[in-house]
Amino acid sequence: MKDQLTKEEVLHVANLARIEISEKEIEKYQLELKQLLNDVEKINEVEGYDNDILIACWSGPTNLRKDETGEMLNPNEVIKSAPRHSGNYIEVPVVISDGEGA
Amino acid sequence: MMSKYIPTVGIEVHVELKTNTKIFSSSKNGYGETANSLTNVVDLGYPGTLPTLNEEVINLAIKAATILNCKIRRQMHFDRKNYFYPDNPKNYQITQSRTPIGYDGYVEIEVQGEMKKIFIEEMHIEEDTCKSAHRGSVSLLDFNRAGVPLIEIVTKACITSSEEAKLYLEKLKQLLFYGDISDCKMEEGSMRCDANVSIRKNEEDPLGVKCEIKNIGSISNVAVAIEKEIERQEKLVNNNETFQEQTRRFDDKISDTVLMRVKETGNDYRYFPEPDIPYVELTDQMIESAISSIPMLPDERRQLYITRGVTEINANKLIANRGLSDYLNEFIDTNLNFKEAVNLLLGDISGYLNKNEKTIYDTTLTKEKFLDLIKKMEENILTSKNLKDILNKILESDDSIDNIMKKCNISNITDTKMLEDIVLKVISENEESVQDYKSGKDRAIKYLMGQIMKETRGSANPQMVNQILIRELNK
Repeated sequence: MKDQLTKEEVLHVANLARIEISEKEIEKYQLELKQLLNDVEKINEVEGYDNDILIACWSGPTNLRKDETGEMLNPNEVIKSAPRHSGNYIEVPVVISDGEGA
Repeated sequence: MMSKYIPTVGIEVHVELKTNTKIFSSSKNGYGETANSLTNVVDLGYPGTLPTLNEEVINLAIKAATILNCKIRRQMHFDRKNYFYPDNPKNYQITQSRTPIGYDGYVEIEVQGEMKKIFIEEMHIEEDTCKSAHRGSVSLLDFNRAGVPLIEIVTKACITSSEEAKLYLEKLKQLLFYGDISDCKMEEGSMRCDANVSIRKNEEDPLGVKCEIKNIGSISNVAVAIEKEIERQEKLVNNNETFQEQTRRFDDKISDTVLMRVKETGNDYRYFPEPDIPYVELTDQMIESAISSIPMLPDERRQLYITRGVTEINANKLIANRGLSDYLNEFIDTNLNFKEAVNLLLGDISGYLNKNEKTIYDTTLTKEKFLDLIKKMEENILTSKNLKDILNKILESDDSIDNIMKKCNISNITDTKMLEDIVLKVISENEESVQDYKSGKDRAIKYLMGQIMKETRGSANPQMVNQILIRELNK
Protein backbone atom coordinates (compact mmCIF):
# COMPACT_ATOMS: atom_id res chain seq x y z
CA MET A 1 0.00 0.00 0.00
CA LYS A 2 1.42 3.33 -0.99
CA ASP A 3 1.93 5.79 1.83
CA GLN A 4 0.94 8.93 0.00
CA LEU A 5 -1.35 10.15 -2.79
CA THR A 6 0.10 11.07 -6.17
CA LYS A 7 0.41 14.69 -7.15
CA GLU A 8 -2.29 14.16 -9.81
CA GLU A 9 -4.72 12.76 -7.24
CA VAL A 10 -4.27 15.80 -5.01
CA LEU A 11 -4.72 18.15 -7.95
CA HIS A 12 -7.84 16.29 -9.00
CA VAL A 13 -9.39 16.66 -5.55
CA ALA A 14 -8.40 20.35 -5.51
CA ASN A 15 -10.05 20.81 -8.87
CA LEU A 16 -13.29 19.17 -7.70
CA ALA A 17 -13.28 21.53 -4.70
CA ARG A 18 -12.42 24.46 -7.02
CA ILE A 19 -9.43 25.56 -4.93
CA GLU A 20 -5.96 26.57 -6.02
CA ILE A 21 -3.02 25.08 -4.12
CA SER A 22 0.72 25.74 -4.22
CA GLU A 23 3.44 23.17 -4.93
CA LYS A 24 4.29 23.14 -1.23
CA GLU A 25 0.67 22.45 -0.29
CA ILE A 26 0.46 19.65 -2.82
CA GLU A 27 3.31 17.86 -1.09
CA LYS A 28 1.69 18.41 2.29
CA TYR A 29 -1.71 17.08 1.15
CA GLN A 30 -0.17 14.05 -0.55
CA LEU A 31 0.69 12.84 2.93
CA GLU A 32 -2.16 14.34 4.97
CA LEU A 33 -4.99 13.21 2.71
CA LYS A 34 -3.58 9.70 2.66
CA GLN A 35 -3.44 9.73 6.46
CA LEU A 36 -7.10 10.82 6.52
CA LEU A 37 -8.09 8.02 4.17
CA ASN A 38 -6.26 5.52 6.36
CA ASP A 39 -8.18 6.74 9.38
CA VAL A 40 -11.50 6.43 7.54
CA GLU A 41 -10.51 2.92 6.45
CA LYS A 42 -10.56 1.91 10.11
CA ILE A 43 -14.36 2.22 10.09
CA ASN A 44 -14.46 -0.82 7.82
CA GLU A 45 -12.91 -2.85 10.62
CA VAL A 46 -15.98 -2.32 12.86
CA GLU A 47 -18.08 -5.48 12.86
CA GLY A 48 -21.76 -5.61 12.04
CA TYR A 49 -22.17 -2.86 9.44
CA ASP A 50 -21.13 -4.87 6.40
CA ASN A 51 -23.05 -3.58 3.41
CA ASP A 52 -25.75 -1.69 5.24
CA ILE A 53 -25.70 2.03 4.93
CA LEU A 54 -25.86 3.61 8.34
CA ILE A 55 -27.28 7.09 8.28
CA ALA A 56 -29.23 7.01 11.51
CA CYS A 57 -29.27 4.84 14.62
CA TRP A 58 -33.01 4.77 14.49
CA SER A 59 -35.38 3.44 11.90
CA GLY A 60 -39.14 3.24 11.96
CA PRO A 61 -42.19 4.94 10.49
CA THR A 62 -41.02 8.05 8.71
CA ASN A 63 -42.14 11.51 9.67
CA LEU A 64 -43.12 13.21 6.46
CA ARG A 65 -44.14 16.82 5.93
CA LYS A 66 -47.72 17.63 4.85
CA ASP A 67 -47.89 19.08 1.33
CA GLU A 68 -48.95 22.54 2.54
CA THR A 69 -47.46 25.84 1.41
CA GLY A 70 -45.57 27.80 4.06
CA GLU A 71 -43.95 31.19 4.27
CA MET A 72 -41.62 32.22 1.46
CA LEU A 73 -38.95 34.87 1.17
CA ASN A 74 -39.58 38.25 -0.37
CA PRO A 75 -37.98 38.10 -3.86
CA ASN A 76 -36.38 41.53 -3.32
CA GLU A 77 -34.55 40.23 -0.26
CA VAL A 78 -33.49 37.13 -2.16
CA ILE A 79 -31.84 39.01 -5.00
CA LYS A 80 -30.29 41.57 -2.64
CA SER A 81 -28.55 38.76 -0.75
CA ALA A 82 -26.59 37.87 -3.87
CA PRO A 83 -23.50 39.89 -4.89
CA ARG A 84 -25.00 40.68 -8.30
CA HIS A 85 -28.44 40.60 -9.80
CA SER A 86 -30.15 41.52 -13.02
CA GLY A 87 -33.83 42.34 -12.71
CA ASN A 88 -35.33 39.60 -10.59
CA TYR A 89 -32.55 37.17 -11.48
CA ILE A 90 -29.40 36.37 -9.54
CA GLU A 91 -26.40 36.93 -11.77
CA VAL A 92 -23.29 34.72 -11.66
CA PRO A 93 -20.29 34.26 -13.95
CA VAL A 94 -21.01 31.71 -16.67
CA VAL A 95 -19.39 28.33 -16.01
CA ILE A 96 -20.18 26.44 -19.18
CA SER A 97 -22.22 27.88 -21.97
CA ASP A 98 -24.84 25.18 -22.24
CA GLY A 99 -26.50 22.49 -20.24
CA GLU A 100 -26.70 22.08 -16.55
CA GLY A 101 -24.73 20.37 -13.88
CA ALA A 102 -26.77 17.51 -12.48
CA MET B 1 -30.54 2.03 -46.92
CA MET B 2 -30.37 -0.54 -44.11
CA SER B 3 -27.72 0.32 -41.58
CA LYS B 4 -25.09 -2.34 -40.97
CA TYR B 5 -24.85 -1.37 -37.32
CA ILE B 6 -27.19 -2.13 -34.45
CA PRO B 7 -28.10 0.96 -32.42
CA THR B 8 -28.64 0.65 -28.67
CA VAL B 9 -30.51 3.41 -26.88
CA GLY B 10 -31.27 4.00 -23.22
CA ILE B 11 -33.48 6.87 -22.15
CA GLU B 12 -33.54 8.94 -18.98
CA VAL B 13 -36.62 11.01 -18.32
CA HIS B 14 -36.99 13.65 -15.62
CA VAL B 15 -40.55 14.42 -14.65
CA GLU B 16 -41.65 17.19 -12.28
CA LEU B 17 -44.25 15.97 -9.81
CA LYS B 18 -47.62 17.67 -9.42
CA THR B 19 -47.37 18.69 -5.76
CA ASN B 20 -48.35 21.89 -4.00
CA THR B 21 -44.94 22.37 -2.42
CA LYS B 22 -41.32 21.51 -3.06
CA ILE B 23 -39.69 18.24 -2.16
CA PHE B 24 -37.75 19.37 0.92
CA SER B 25 -39.36 22.72 1.78
CA SER B 26 -42.82 24.24 2.10
CA SER B 27 -42.23 26.75 -0.76
CA LYS B 28 -44.85 26.64 -3.50
CA ASN B 29 -44.18 24.39 -6.48
CA GLY B 30 -45.22 26.71 -9.32
CA TYR B 31 -44.40 27.63 -12.90
CA GLY B 32 -44.40 30.93 -14.73
CA GLU B 33 -44.30 33.19 -11.67
CA THR B 34 -41.93 36.12 -10.99
CA ALA B 35 -38.32 34.88 -10.85
CA ASN B 36 -37.06 34.03 -7.35
CA SER B 37 -40.48 34.56 -5.76
CA LEU B 38 -41.04 30.91 -4.75
CA THR B 39 -38.14 30.25 -2.39
CA ASN B 40 -37.10 29.96 1.20
CA VAL B 41 -33.78 29.33 2.93
CA VAL B 42 -33.88 25.57 2.23
CA ASP B 43 -34.26 26.08 -1.54
CA LEU B 44 -31.46 28.64 -1.56
CA GLY B 45 -29.12 26.23 0.21
CA TYR B 46 -28.46 28.33 3.30
CA PRO B 47 -26.17 26.65 5.82
CA GLY B 48 -27.88 25.19 8.85
CA THR B 49 -31.23 24.54 7.18
CA LEU B 50 -32.90 21.16 7.39
CA PRO B 51 -34.66 19.47 4.45
CA THR B 52 -37.99 17.82 5.37
CA LEU B 53 -39.48 15.33 2.94
CA ASN B 54 -42.91 16.07 1.41
CA GLU B 55 -45.33 13.16 1.90
CA GLU B 56 -47.06 13.80 -1.44
CA VAL B 57 -43.75 13.20 -3.24
CA ILE B 58 -43.60 9.69 -1.76
CA ASN B 59 -47.28 9.16 -2.59
CA LEU B 60 -46.83 10.18 -6.25
CA ALA B 61 -43.59 8.20 -6.56
CA ILE B 62 -45.34 5.04 -5.32
CA LYS B 63 -48.10 5.65 -7.88
CA ALA B 64 -45.58 6.24 -10.68
CA ALA B 65 -43.61 3.11 -9.76
CA THR B 66 -46.84 1.09 -9.81
CA ILE B 67 -47.91 2.50 -13.18
CA LEU B 68 -44.48 1.62 -14.60
CA ASN B 69 -44.77 -1.95 -13.28
CA CYS B 70 -41.79 -1.41 -10.96
CA LYS B 71 -41.01 -3.24 -7.76
CA ILE B 72 -41.27 -0.87 -4.82
CA ARG B 73 -38.48 -0.58 -2.26
CA ARG B 74 -39.74 -0.53 1.30
CA GLN B 75 -36.76 1.11 2.99
CA MET B 76 -34.71 3.77 1.30
CA HIS B 77 -32.47 6.74 1.94
CA PHE B 78 -31.27 9.76 0.01
CA ASP B 79 -27.75 10.51 -1.24
CA ARG B 80 -25.79 13.65 -1.94
CA LYS B 81 -24.47 13.97 -5.47
CA ASN B 82 -21.62 16.46 -5.25
CA TYR B 83 -20.79 18.75 -8.14
CA PHE B 84 -19.81 22.35 -8.65
CA TYR B 85 -22.25 24.35 -10.69
CA PRO B 86 -24.21 27.55 -10.02
CA ASP B 87 -27.59 25.83 -10.47
CA ASN B 88 -27.21 24.36 -7.00
CA PRO B 89 -25.62 26.52 -4.30
CA LYS B 90 -25.37 23.62 -1.83
CA ASN B 91 -22.90 22.11 -4.32
CA TYR B 92 -24.79 18.86 -4.10
CA GLN B 93 -28.11 17.56 -5.30
CA ILE B 94 -30.19 15.39 -2.98
CA THR B 95 -31.10 12.28 -4.95
CA GLN B 96 -31.49 8.52 -4.57
CA SER B 97 -28.39 6.84 -5.91
CA ARG B 98 -28.28 3.51 -4.09
CA THR B 99 -31.88 2.94 -3.08
CA PRO B 100 -34.23 4.12 -5.85
CA ILE B 101 -37.88 3.81 -4.80
CA GLY B 102 -38.79 1.79 -7.92
CA TYR B 103 -36.81 -0.77 -9.91
CA ASP B 104 -37.19 -3.58 -12.46
CA GLY B 105 -40.27 -2.27 -14.24
CA TYR B 106 -41.46 -2.00 -17.82
CA VAL B 107 -43.64 -0.03 -20.20
CA GLU B 108 -45.32 -1.89 -23.03
CA ILE B 109 -45.39 -0.34 -26.49
CA GLU B 110 -46.72 -1.51 -29.84
CA VAL B 111 -44.06 -1.46 -32.56
CA GLN B 112 -45.36 -2.21 -36.05
CA GLY B 113 -48.15 -4.38 -34.71
CA GLU B 114 -46.03 -6.25 -32.14
CA MET B 115 -45.97 -5.65 -28.40
CA LYS B 116 -42.57 -4.89 -26.90
CA LYS B 117 -41.61 -4.27 -23.30
CA ILE B 118 -39.26 -1.37 -22.66
CA PHE B 119 -37.59 -2.30 -19.40
CA ILE B 120 -37.17 0.24 -16.64
CA GLU B 121 -33.91 -0.16 -14.76
CA GLU B 122 -34.91 2.13 -11.92
CA MET B 123 -36.99 5.13 -10.95
CA HIS B 124 -35.73 7.46 -8.26
CA ILE B 125 -36.75 10.65 -6.50
CA GLU B 126 -34.62 13.79 -6.52
CA GLU B 127 -34.76 17.58 -6.31
CA ASP B 128 -34.71 19.82 -9.36
CA THR B 129 -32.03 22.48 -9.64
CA CYS B 130 -32.57 26.18 -10.23
CA LYS B 131 -33.14 27.31 -13.79
CA SER B 132 -30.24 29.08 -15.42
CA ALA B 133 -30.20 31.15 -18.59
CA HIS B 134 -26.89 32.06 -20.17
CA ARG B 135 -26.26 35.60 -21.44
CA GLY B 136 -22.73 35.96 -22.78
CA SER B 137 -20.34 35.94 -19.84
CA VAL B 138 -23.03 35.71 -17.15
CA SER B 139 -25.75 33.26 -16.11
CA LEU B 140 -29.10 34.39 -14.73
CA LEU B 141 -30.55 32.21 -12.00
CA ASP B 142 -34.16 31.65 -11.01
CA PHE B 143 -34.58 29.54 -7.89
CA ASN B 144 -38.33 28.98 -8.32
CA ARG B 145 -37.45 25.60 -9.81
CA ALA B 146 -34.88 24.74 -7.13
CA GLY B 147 -36.28 21.93 -5.01
CA VAL B 148 -39.21 21.08 -7.26
CA PRO B 149 -39.72 17.32 -6.84
CA LEU B 150 -38.63 15.11 -9.72
CA ILE B 151 -38.68 11.46 -10.54
CA GLU B 152 -36.03 10.20 -12.92
CA ILE B 153 -36.97 7.14 -14.95
CA VAL B 154 -34.08 5.20 -16.44
CA THR B 155 -34.62 2.48 -19.05
CA LYS B 156 -32.30 -0.43 -19.66
CA ALA B 157 -30.32 -0.17 -22.91
CA CYS B 158 -33.04 -2.10 -24.74
CA ILE B 159 -34.33 0.40 -27.30
CA THR B 160 -33.12 -0.32 -30.82
CA SER B 161 -34.53 2.48 -32.95
CA SER B 162 -35.63 6.09 -32.87
CA GLU B 163 -39.17 4.89 -33.55
CA GLU B 164 -39.18 2.74 -30.41
CA ALA B 165 -37.78 5.67 -28.43
CA LYS B 166 -40.58 7.89 -29.67
CA LEU B 167 -43.29 5.30 -28.93
CA TYR B 168 -41.87 4.72 -25.45
CA LEU B 169 -41.84 8.43 -24.64
CA GLU B 170 -45.36 8.95 -25.95
CA LYS B 171 -46.61 6.04 -23.85
CA LEU B 172 -44.68 7.17 -20.77
CA LYS B 173 -46.03 10.69 -21.10
CA GLN B 174 -49.61 9.42 -21.45
CA LEU B 175 -49.24 7.10 -18.44
CA LEU B 176 -47.78 9.75 -16.14
CA PHE B 177 -50.30 12.34 -17.30
CA TYR B 178 -53.27 10.02 -16.81
CA GLY B 179 -51.84 8.84 -13.49
CA ASP B 180 -51.91 12.48 -12.27
CA ILE B 181 -48.20 12.24 -11.53
CA SER B 182 -47.15 15.23 -13.65
CA ASP B 183 -48.57 17.59 -16.25
CA CYS B 184 -45.73 16.35 -18.53
CA LYS B 185 -45.39 19.62 -20.47
CA MET B 186 -42.15 19.30 -22.39
CA GLU B 187 -42.39 22.93 -23.53
CA GLU B 188 -42.40 24.06 -19.88
CA GLY B 189 -39.71 21.60 -18.88
CA SER B 190 -41.89 19.48 -16.60
CA MET B 191 -40.83 16.47 -18.68
CA ARG B 192 -37.23 16.34 -19.96
CA CYS B 193 -35.47 13.62 -21.92
CA ASP B 194 -31.86 12.55 -22.29
CA ALA B 195 -30.86 9.70 -24.59
CA ASN B 196 -27.79 7.45 -24.40
CA VAL B 197 -26.85 6.17 -27.83
CA SER B 198 -24.24 3.66 -28.98
CA ILE B 199 -23.81 1.36 -31.97
CA ARG B 200 -22.22 -2.07 -32.50
CA LYS B 201 -21.83 -4.43 -35.40
CA ASN B 202 -23.29 -7.66 -34.04
CA GLU B 203 -25.72 -8.63 -31.30
CA GLU B 204 -22.97 -10.52 -29.47
CA ASP B 205 -20.51 -7.60 -29.46
CA PRO B 206 -20.17 -5.54 -26.27
CA LEU B 207 -21.99 -2.20 -26.32
CA GLY B 208 -20.15 0.55 -28.21
CA VAL B 209 -18.91 3.83 -26.74
CA LYS B 210 -22.01 5.70 -25.65
CA CYS B 211 -22.86 9.29 -26.06
CA GLU B 212 -25.43 11.11 -23.95
CA ILE B 213 -27.68 13.66 -25.63
CA LYS B 214 -29.16 16.15 -23.19
CA ASN B 215 -31.88 18.78 -23.18
CA ILE B 216 -34.05 17.53 -26.01
CA GLY B 217 -37.17 19.67 -26.02
CA SER B 218 -39.78 17.50 -27.72
CA ILE B 219 -40.51 13.85 -28.37
CA SER B 220 -40.12 14.23 -32.13
CA ASN B 221 -36.74 15.87 -31.56
CA VAL B 222 -35.67 12.88 -29.45
CA ALA B 223 -36.20 10.72 -32.52
CA VAL B 224 -34.29 13.17 -34.74
CA ALA B 225 -31.44 13.47 -32.21
CA ILE B 226 -31.07 9.68 -32.01
CA GLU B 227 -31.04 9.34 -35.81
CA LYS B 228 -28.39 12.05 -36.13
CA GLU B 229 -26.26 10.52 -33.39
CA ILE B 230 -26.40 7.06 -34.98
CA GLU B 231 -25.33 8.63 -38.31
CA ARG B 232 -22.45 10.49 -36.63
CA GLN B 233 -21.16 7.37 -34.86
CA GLU B 234 -21.48 5.26 -38.02
CA LYS B 235 -19.31 7.74 -39.91
CA LEU B 236 -16.66 7.65 -37.18
CA VAL B 237 -16.64 3.85 -37.02
CA ASN B 238 -16.54 3.56 -40.81
CA ASN B 239 -13.48 5.82 -40.84
CA ASN B 240 -11.89 3.71 -38.09
CA GLU B 241 -11.85 6.69 -35.75
CA THR B 242 -12.02 6.12 -32.01
CA PHE B 243 -14.11 8.42 -29.85
CA GLN B 244 -14.63 9.09 -26.17
CA GLU B 245 -17.79 9.00 -24.07
CA GLN B 246 -19.24 12.46 -24.27
CA THR B 247 -22.24 14.62 -23.53
CA ARG B 248 -23.89 16.34 -26.47
CA ARG B 249 -26.96 18.47 -26.69
CA PHE B 250 -29.63 18.77 -29.36
CA ASP B 251 -29.72 22.12 -31.13
CA ASP B 252 -33.15 22.47 -32.71
CA LYS B 253 -32.02 25.39 -34.89
CA ILE B 254 -29.66 23.14 -36.84
CA SER B 255 -31.60 19.96 -36.03
CA ASP B 256 -28.40 18.17 -34.97
CA THR B 257 -26.40 17.34 -31.86
CA VAL B 258 -23.39 19.42 -30.75
CA LEU B 259 -20.64 18.61 -28.26
CA MET B 260 -21.10 19.91 -24.71
CA ARG B 261 -18.32 18.18 -22.79
CA VAL B 262 -16.37 15.00 -22.49
CA LYS B 263 -18.14 13.20 -19.69
CA GLU B 264 -17.00 13.34 -16.07
CA THR B 265 -16.82 9.98 -14.38
CA GLY B 266 -19.37 8.83 -11.81
CA ASN B 267 -16.75 8.81 -9.05
CA ASP B 268 -16.30 12.53 -9.30
CA TYR B 269 -19.82 12.97 -7.96
CA ARG B 270 -18.60 11.53 -4.63
CA TYR B 271 -22.02 10.19 -3.66
CA PHE B 272 -22.60 9.66 0.02
CA PRO B 273 -25.73 9.16 2.13
CA GLU B 274 -27.61 12.36 2.99
CA PRO B 275 -27.35 12.50 6.79
CA ASP B 276 -30.07 15.14 7.22
CA ILE B 277 -32.91 12.88 6.07
CA PRO B 278 -33.71 9.74 8.08
CA TYR B 279 -34.51 6.45 6.38
CA VAL B 280 -37.82 6.46 4.58
CA GLU B 281 -39.86 3.37 5.37
CA LEU B 282 -43.00 2.67 3.41
CA THR B 283 -45.88 1.06 5.26
CA ASP B 284 -48.49 -1.21 3.65
CA GLN B 285 -51.02 1.50 4.30
CA MET B 286 -48.98 4.14 2.42
CA ILE B 287 -48.57 1.83 -0.57
CA GLU B 288 -52.19 0.68 -0.64
CA SER B 289 -53.60 4.17 -0.34
CA ALA B 290 -51.35 5.45 -3.16
CA ILE B 291 -52.23 2.57 -5.48
CA SER B 292 -55.96 2.82 -4.81
CA SER B 293 -55.98 6.46 -5.91
CA ILE B 294 -54.55 5.79 -9.39
CA PRO B 295 -57.15 6.92 -11.95
CA MET B 296 -58.15 4.65 -14.86
CA LEU B 297 -55.16 4.45 -17.22
CA PRO B 298 -55.22 4.70 -21.04
CA ASP B 299 -55.03 0.96 -21.83
CA GLU B 300 -57.97 0.21 -19.59
CA ARG B 301 -59.94 3.13 -21.02
CA ARG B 302 -59.27 1.94 -24.58
CA GLN B 303 -60.44 -1.56 -23.70
CA LEU B 304 -63.57 -0.22 -22.06
CA TYR B 305 -64.49 2.00 -25.02
CA ILE B 306 -63.93 -0.79 -27.53
CA THR B 307 -66.07 -3.17 -25.46
CA ARG B 308 -68.85 -0.58 -25.63
CA GLY B 309 -68.76 -0.37 -29.40
CA VAL B 310 -66.32 2.48 -30.04
CA THR B 311 -63.82 1.91 -32.87
CA GLU B 312 -60.15 1.61 -31.89
CA ILE B 313 -59.28 4.74 -33.86
CA ASN B 314 -61.91 6.77 -32.05
CA ALA B 315 -60.94 5.27 -28.69
CA ASN B 316 -57.36 6.45 -29.27
CA LYS B 317 -58.52 9.88 -30.40
CA LEU B 318 -60.61 10.21 -27.28
CA ILE B 319 -57.74 9.15 -25.00
CA ALA B 320 -55.60 11.84 -26.63
CA ASN B 321 -58.07 14.29 -25.06
CA ARG B 322 -58.08 13.67 -21.32
CA GLY B 323 -60.97 16.07 -20.62
CA LEU B 324 -63.36 14.31 -23.02
CA SER B 325 -62.24 10.88 -21.85
CA ASP B 326 -62.82 11.80 -18.19
CA TYR B 327 -66.21 13.24 -19.13
CA LEU B 328 -67.25 10.06 -20.92
CA ASN B 329 -66.10 7.94 -17.99
CA GLU B 330 -68.76 9.60 -15.87
CA PHE B 331 -71.28 7.56 -17.89
CA ILE B 332 -69.72 4.13 -17.32
CA ASP B 333 -72.60 3.05 -15.10
CA THR B 334 -75.31 4.34 -17.44
CA ASN B 335 -76.73 2.75 -20.58
CA LEU B 336 -75.34 5.57 -22.74
CA ASN B 337 -74.61 4.57 -26.33
CA PHE B 338 -70.84 5.10 -26.22
CA LYS B 339 -70.39 4.82 -29.98
CA GLU B 340 -72.85 7.61 -30.69
CA ALA B 341 -71.52 9.63 -27.74
CA VAL B 342 -67.89 9.38 -28.88
CA ASN B 343 -68.82 10.36 -32.45
CA LEU B 344 -70.49 13.45 -31.11
CA LEU B 345 -67.71 14.29 -28.62
CA LEU B 346 -64.99 13.96 -31.25
CA GLY B 347 -67.05 15.67 -33.96
CA ASP B 348 -69.30 18.65 -33.41
CA ILE B 349 -68.56 19.06 -29.71
CA SER B 350 -64.76 19.05 -30.20
CA GLY B 351 -65.22 21.52 -33.04
CA TYR B 352 -67.13 23.84 -30.72
CA LEU B 353 -64.65 23.44 -27.85
CA ASN B 354 -61.61 24.10 -30.03
CA LYS B 355 -63.19 27.11 -31.70
CA ASN B 356 -64.17 28.63 -28.37
CA GLU B 357 -61.06 27.50 -26.46
CA LYS B 358 -63.18 25.76 -23.85
CA THR B 359 -63.16 22.41 -22.12
CA ILE B 360 -66.28 20.28 -21.93
CA TYR B 361 -66.54 21.24 -18.26
CA ASP B 362 -66.90 24.91 -19.26
CA THR B 363 -70.16 24.12 -21.08
CA THR B 364 -73.69 23.64 -19.79
CA LEU B 365 -73.73 20.03 -20.98
CA THR B 366 -74.72 18.33 -17.74
CA LYS B 367 -74.75 14.58 -17.42
CA GLU B 368 -78.56 14.45 -17.77
CA LYS B 369 -78.54 16.74 -20.78
CA PHE B 370 -75.89 14.65 -22.57
CA LEU B 371 -77.86 11.44 -21.93
CA ASP B 372 -80.97 13.13 -23.31
CA LEU B 373 -79.07 14.44 -26.33
CA ILE B 374 -77.64 11.05 -27.29
CA LYS B 375 -81.04 9.40 -26.77
CA LYS B 376 -82.72 11.94 -29.05
CA MET B 377 -80.11 11.36 -31.73
CA GLU B 378 -80.42 7.58 -31.45
CA GLU B 379 -84.19 7.82 -31.82
CA ASN B 380 -83.89 10.27 -34.70
CA ILE B 381 -85.80 12.89 -32.79
CA LEU B 382 -82.82 15.11 -33.46
CA THR B 383 -80.86 14.90 -36.70
CA SER B 384 -77.23 15.82 -37.09
CA LYS B 385 -78.34 18.72 -39.25
CA ASN B 386 -80.66 19.91 -36.45
CA LEU B 387 -77.86 19.50 -33.98
CA LYS B 388 -75.47 21.72 -35.92
CA ASP B 389 -78.11 24.48 -35.75
CA ILE B 390 -78.70 24.27 -32.01
CA LEU B 391 -75.38 22.97 -30.65
CA ASN B 392 -74.26 26.39 -29.39
CA LYS B 393 -77.53 26.78 -27.48
CA ILE B 394 -77.22 23.28 -26.01
CA LEU B 395 -73.70 23.98 -24.79
CA GLU B 396 -74.24 27.54 -23.64
CA SER B 397 -77.72 27.75 -22.14
CA ASP B 398 -79.27 26.02 -19.16
CA ASP B 399 -82.42 25.32 -21.20
CA SER B 400 -83.42 21.69 -21.75
CA ILE B 401 -82.97 20.22 -25.21
CA ASP B 402 -86.76 19.91 -25.58
CA ASN B 403 -87.16 23.63 -24.92
CA ILE B 404 -84.36 24.56 -27.30
CA MET B 405 -85.90 22.41 -30.03
CA LYS B 406 -89.30 23.93 -29.45
CA LYS B 407 -87.95 27.48 -29.57
CA CYS B 408 -86.12 26.69 -32.81
CA ASN B 409 -89.25 25.14 -34.28
CA ILE B 410 -87.75 21.73 -34.93
CA SER B 411 -89.73 19.74 -32.45
CA ASN B 412 -91.96 17.87 -34.95
CA ILE B 413 -89.75 17.44 -37.92
CA THR B 414 -88.95 13.79 -37.26
CA ASP B 415 -92.56 12.93 -36.60
CA THR B 416 -93.14 9.85 -38.83
CA LYS B 417 -96.64 10.88 -39.84
CA MET B 418 -95.51 14.33 -40.87
CA LEU B 419 -92.63 12.92 -42.90
CA GLU B 420 -94.96 10.44 -44.63
CA ASP B 421 -97.24 13.29 -45.66
CA ILE B 422 -94.34 15.24 -47.10
CA VAL B 423 -93.01 12.17 -48.95
CA LEU B 424 -96.45 11.48 -50.48
CA LYS B 425 -96.79 15.11 -51.50
CA VAL B 426 -93.41 15.10 -53.25
CA ILE B 427 -94.21 11.77 -54.97
CA SER B 428 -97.49 13.08 -56.30
CA GLU B 429 -95.86 16.27 -57.61
CA ASN B 430 -92.99 14.46 -59.38
CA GLU B 431 -94.53 11.65 -61.38
CA GLU B 432 -91.78 11.77 -63.99
CA SER B 433 -89.09 11.05 -61.43
CA VAL B 434 -91.18 8.25 -59.97
CA GLN B 435 -91.35 6.65 -63.41
CA ASP B 436 -87.60 7.14 -63.86
CA TYR B 437 -87.00 5.35 -60.54
CA LYS B 438 -89.26 2.48 -61.52
CA SER B 439 -87.41 2.09 -64.83
CA GLY B 440 -84.16 1.72 -62.91
CA LYS B 441 -82.69 5.22 -62.91
CA ASP B 442 -81.03 5.52 -59.52
CA ARG B 443 -80.47 9.23 -59.84
CA ALA B 444 -84.22 9.80 -59.59
CA ILE B 445 -84.25 8.88 -55.92
CA LYS B 446 -81.60 11.47 -55.18
CA TYR B 447 -83.73 14.11 -56.85
CA LEU B 448 -86.79 13.10 -54.83
CA MET B 449 -84.77 13.11 -51.61
CA GLY B 450 -83.59 16.59 -52.49
CA GLN B 451 -87.18 17.77 -52.97
CA ILE B 452 -88.19 16.34 -49.59
CA MET B 453 -85.24 17.98 -47.85
CA LYS B 454 -86.23 21.25 -49.51
CA GLU B 455 -89.78 20.90 -48.17
CA THR B 456 -88.45 20.26 -44.67
CA ARG B 457 -85.77 22.95 -44.94
CA GLY B 458 -83.15 20.26 -44.53
CA SER B 459 -84.10 19.29 -41.04
CA ALA B 460 -85.65 15.87 -41.67
CA ASN B 461 -83.74 12.77 -40.74
CA PRO B 462 -82.29 11.49 -44.03
CA GLN B 463 -82.38 7.83 -43.03
CA MET B 464 -86.06 8.02 -42.07
CA VAL B 465 -86.92 9.88 -45.26
CA ASN B 466 -85.01 7.35 -47.33
CA GLN B 467 -86.85 4.45 -45.72
CA ILE B 468 -90.28 6.00 -46.13
CA LEU B 469 -89.56 7.09 -49.69
CA ILE B 470 -88.42 3.65 -50.86
CA ARG B 471 -91.34 2.01 -49.12
CA GLU B 472 -93.83 4.34 -50.82
CA LEU B 473 -92.16 4.07 -54.24
CA ASN B 474 -92.28 0.28 -54.11
CA LYS B 475 -95.96 0.15 -53.24
